[in-house]
Amino acid sequence: MKTNHDIKLGVSLYSYQDNYYFHKYDLEGCLAAAAGAGAEGIEIFPDAMIPEWPYISDAFVDKFTGMLERYGLKCVCVDHFSDTRMWKNKNLSNDDLYERGVMYIKAAAKLGAPAVRLLHEEHIGVFDKSSPMSRDYHLTNVEIVERLLPVAAEYNVMMALECHAPSTISDPCHEPYLEAAERLGLPFVGLQADFSSYEYCITSADVGMYTRQGANPEILNLIRNSQREAYFSGKIFDFEHIREKIERIGLNEVDKKLLKNDFIYGINESKSFENLYKTLKEYASRLVYIHGKFYDIDEDGQVDNMDYPKIFKALVDGGYKGYICSEFEGNRRMNDAGWVNEIEYVRKHQVLMRKCLGYE
Amino acid sequence: MYDTHVLTDYDCRSIWEHGNKVGYAVNLTINYYRGLPLCCVDEITLEIDGEIVDPATIYVQHRGKEFQYLDILKDDFPTDFYWVFGEYLRVVVKKEGGIEQGQHKVKLTLGTRRSYTPTMVAICEKVLTFA
Repeated sequence: MKTNHDIKLGVSLYSYQDNYYFHKYDLEGCLAAAAGAGAEGIEIFPDAMIPEWPYISDAFVDKFTGMLERYGLKCVCVDHFSDTRMWKNKNLSNDDLYERGVMYIKAAAKLGAPAVRLLHEEHIGVFDKSSPMSRDYHLTNVEIVERLLPVAAEYNVMMALECHAPSTISDPCHEPYLEAAERLGLPFVGLQADFSSYEYCITSADVGMYTRQGANPEILNLIRNSQREAYFSGKIFDFEHIREKIERIGLNEVDKKLLKNDFIYGINESKSFENLYKTLKEYASRLVYIHGKFYDIDEDGQVDNMDYPKIFKALVDGGYKGYICSEFEGNRRMNDAGWVNEIEYVRKHQVLMRKCLGYE
Repeated sequence: MYDTHVLTDYDCRSIWEHGNKVGYAVNLTINYYRGLPLCCVDEITLEIDGEIVDPATIYVQHRGKEFQYLDILKDDFPTDFYWVFGEYLRVVVKKEGGIEQGQHKVKLTLGTRRSYTPTMVAICEKVLTFA
């Protein structure tokens, strides 16, 4: 069902990755699944689902655009990657990363997509040196993006800066990119929200996965429930409040390792969700693209660790115009336990998003 | 990622020439959520029935091209041969006599280098039936 709304709904084909990996659905099957769920747009990883990548033949473009026409879809985003470590003995230079950026922009233009999701250096914020995610090389940075701006303008392709958890759209680390666009008078880079920034608790998909890896589910559920309790009572979650309780239960080696991970206990810590939604509303009209991230859907049809009605209210009230694409990441958290029905998850997610926009 | 699936049961068999077995093949899928160029493969180690296969006898076949495994590990291996997501990468071991038809215990270690996350190594062990 089309929404006839300023906010359009789509599906990142990444959401169907297990179906594709295990040869149950090919590219056309994934497009049919997205259209069947009611989506109007799709996002594609070229290096996952374009067999001849990094080249794109006219024959592929003809086939692809023909399929989009058949299923009533638009390709709204192509995923850019910064493969800095592509060579064995040296990192890609800034010149190399620029060339790769040009390649992705041209690919988007060839596929008729108005945007690339740009994998920029600060997509998950700025690392401090002690972070386990810290690295001694960089991804596509502001200097490279500045050089890419005239190319993006020439091909009329927006570079969407994915602001992924633990970063948010208002994190100052994304600002220099926007300043460069303004300075050059080339408005071809913009902010892309990712709903991971609005997780108020760890997802049940993670509880399941870490339990199967040997963590104590009692501890994981204690964290999850405390995070939920804090969120729904309008309080800020503080891990220190439950540290003693957790230590009394006793930590095994897997628990100890997990608790060093910000992605577990850091979720919701020190966050005022009221401010987050307020900021989302303020930024909404300037956002150029959105990932509707989700991992699991509960029995009420809600995403189990993000408040979709509030997120959507902020976006609608703030005047967001553009696509929100379902990005299901539960598959890689659940598929160690058996087959994950990605098609059903995406269908439910599209239903939820339509409801949030006021459609039954 | 996909660690328990990277070693597939697709087309496991001996390779023949002029009526004689000259090797055997298994097919791998990638341990990542997207494709990577073959130059990002850091390791393919095969162990058959407890014995490590000599890497000098391993060849990688991809879309009509055949590469010596040790060549894809070299610094200057090209960056545009993409092993895309879900695609079978055929790994051939050249060995006179091939492999005895039937079940064999196969252990694969697959290391791939990523651009923005730590290098991941998948270890997958299966009993596969070779034709």
